[in-house]
Order: sequence, then structure tokens, then C-alpha cells
Amino acid sequence: MRRLDKPIANPMVVLREEFDDWAVLFNPDTANAVGINPVGVTVWKLMDGQRSLEEIVAELRDRFADVPHAAVEDITAFVDDLAEQGLVGYELKGAGR
Amino acid sequence: MRTPRSVDVEITSRCNLRCRYCYYFDNPAVDYRELPTDEWLQFFDELGQCAVLSVSLAGGEPFIRKDLPTLLQGVVRNRMRFNILSNGTLIDDEIAAFIATTDRCDHVQVSVDGSAPETHDSCRGRGSFAGAIRGIRTLQRHGVPVTVRVTIHRHNVHDLENIARLLLEDLGLASFSTNAAGYLGSCRQNAAEVLLTTRDRQMAMETLLRLSEKYDGRVSAMAGPLAEARHWRRMEEARGQEALPFPNGGRLTSCGGPGSKIAVRADGVIIPCTMVAHMELGRINQDSLVEVWQHSLALNWLRQRHSIPLTEFDFCAGCPYIPYCTGNCPGLAYTLTGQVNHPSPDVCLRRFLEEGGTII
Repeated sequence: MRRLDKPIANPMVVLREEFDDWAVLFNPDTANAVGINPVGVTVWKLMDGQRSLEEIVAELRDRFADVPHAAVEDITAFVDDLAEQGLVGYELKGAGR
Repeated sequence: MRTPRSVDVEITSRCNLRCRYCYYFDNPAVDYRELPTDEWLQFFDELGQCAVLSVSLAGGEPFIRKDLPTLLQGVVRNRMRFNILSNGTLIDDEIAAFIATTDRCDHVQVSVDGSAPETHDSCRGRGSFAGAIRGIRTLQRHGVPVTVRVTIHRHNVHDLENIARLLLEDLGLASFSTNAAGYLGSCRQNAAEVLLTTRDRQMAMETLLRLSEKYDGRVSAMAGPLAEARHWRRMEEARGQEALPFPNGGRLTSCGGPGSKIAVRADGVIIPCTMVAHMELGRINQDSLVEVWQHSLALNWLRQRHSIPLTEFDFCAGCPYIPYCTGNCPGLAYTLTGQVNHPSPDVCLRRFLEEGGTII
């Protein structure tokens, strides 16, 4: 996924949050379950198809202290991994737009 | 956890059979009523909001409900998976096809208690074996995952070899699970004719261990003779070696209790588990499930059960197996002793040995 892509959290996937702010992403169609940490939960909630990866990382920098410089690469890798599992998609730009 | 991960839902109090060892019926604490479709759908909406991941539908007999497809749609719409516990006799092509299209069914568990009608029907009623096998084949025809539970009792303990061959070879199931009839529900009235004697239990343990090895782990158990054979062997080895207590030993830890799941009776009453159906925690669509799960005094009391040492009970006095024992099911403990917080006399290794049993 590229920095300007706008990822979309798969609406069929359940975000099951726990008391410690970690969560499980559960795809009921495949029974696949993935554990994510509190930063991952924040990223998941920001993936509404309106924000680019770059914008999501900018929000993380506003919300969390000490976000490392490599955050964009890390978050991109995280989102790519979710996309590979069918948990995240992104809108395709039509020709001529 | 914040909400239950799964919920056991008794979606009906009706059944087309009256099995002699049924744990469900004849419980004086239960009001055997039926809820309308809308009540369940409203509850499933709440489960969706609570991020519950799966429901287990039981009863009674779930396939007796004509609105089962509508209820399953409610489960699916709320992004959950499901499994169904059934006697198999009411499963037709239409409902099997419907279940297959949901793509959300983990399995349908069908009860099979014999390799032939004589043994199966002896406790479940005439024609029930043929119906169960027909149900299994129908599910298989439509690609619905099928599992089988074999409940072991006095009349089928000699049939276990043939049951395994039927299920694993003739029907081609990947595996089946086993349990024994227990002193619950209707079984209490038929206990003398149905429950395993010590000798029966010994035979079942030996046979199931052998079958599990023969079929390379395709015979399983969470409770009953096979689970007892394995666990009691470990307990005896630990005792002989004077090993340190098991991590869950020496206290009323049983299955772990209501840590990740909760249950609902057919009349909509929320209970910790189907084995303790008398413990009423609230009612669906009246009481918030999250509130009950997190703040119910009775539920949190039950969760503290694991801190009660077995040394507190006269029943366990002097027992060398205390450090390795979990005290087993609180539901069985309740029906046998009247107390939830008591070890279950039914799954006691010391008592088994005193009655002539031997560890394999």
C-alpha cells in the first residue's frame, strides 16, 4: 500500500476490544482472528477510507508521544499485512480521475 | 474480558425426543417456555454490539424451530459464527442447504449413541438412530461440517468399537467426542438403569484409550471416561512421584468457569452455564449483557470458586490426590450435594478406586 492510499477497514470484520486496550480482529467468514495492540486499534479505527496512510500516521503523532520516524513504514507494513489477510482494502482510483 | 467471547443459547425448550439420560429436561429450577423470534433477534443484535464472536445453539432440539433460518440470519447479520447441537433427526435438505449458504457454521454436532438401532434407540427412542444417521448424511451432502458426540451409558458401553468404526470409517468423520451420562435432569429418574457402574466405567476407559490410539487421536473427550482415564493416570503418576501440585490442582478450578462464555435458557434467563441452569443472573432484553457479565454478584462469586481449596471439604479429607484434582463440574456437584461450591463426588478418583476401579 502506498502512502497516499486510503485504506478501508473491512466492515465485516469485528473489532473486539479488551480492558487492556488490546483487541482482536475477527473475520466471521473465515474465522481468522488477529491480535492487535493499542496503536493498531487506533489505526484500525482511523481506516475509514477518507484518510491516507500519511494522514493516519500524522494523527498518531498527535495522539501518542514519541512516535518514531519509521512509523510510516511500520504502519504501512501493518496495514499491508492486514490487507493480505482480507481485513483491509482500499479504494481503487478510476481512470481519468 | 470485557464481554463474553461466545454464548450458549438454548433457543428452544421443545424436543421431539425424550432421551432417558437427558441433562436438560426435568430440572425443577427451569421454566420450560419458548421465546418468539423477535426476542432472539433483539438479543442477537445485542451480542453483535458486544462483539461476541460465536453462539452455540442448543435446546431442546434447535431444528424443531420453524424460524431457525430467520434466527441464523440474525446471527450472521451480527457478524457471528455458530454451531448447533442436535439429535439430527429433523435435519432435511432445505435447512442443511441453508446452513451451508451462511458460510458461518463451525459444525453441527449430532448425537450418536450406538452402531445400530438397538443400542442407540434404547435410551433415545425408536427410530432415532436412523434419523440421526440420515441427518448426518444430509449435512455431509451439503458440505456442512459435522461432528458427533457419543454419550456413554450402561447400554452402549459394549458397543464402542462398532460405534467408532461406524463414525470414523463408514461415515468418514474426522473425529468424534465422548462423554458419559451424568446425574442431571431426566437421568436422575433413570440413573439406576442408565449410569455407568464402576465396572462399566473401567471398560469404557480401557476401550476408549485403545480406540484413541487405534484411530490416531480421532476419539476425543473433555469429560467422561476417556478424559478421566487420561487425567487420572496423570494424577496417579504425580502422586507416586510426589510431584508439585498441578497449576490448576488443589482448588475448585473445574473447567475454568465462566471466563469467556455465558449461557441463556430457552425462557431468556441468563445463566453462567447450562450445567448450572438454576443460577439466574438476569434476563435477555431486560438486563444489559455487559452489566451482567461484568458486575453480576452471583457470576463474580462463581468466578471466585477457583480460590477455594479442596482441603476445606470433609469429602476430600486425607485424599492423596488433592494437589492434582480440580474438583470437577460445579453443575454435577450441585445436583449431587446441593452445593455449587463442592467437589463433584461423581468424578472422584479416590472414590473410583475405593469402588474397585483401577488406573490404566
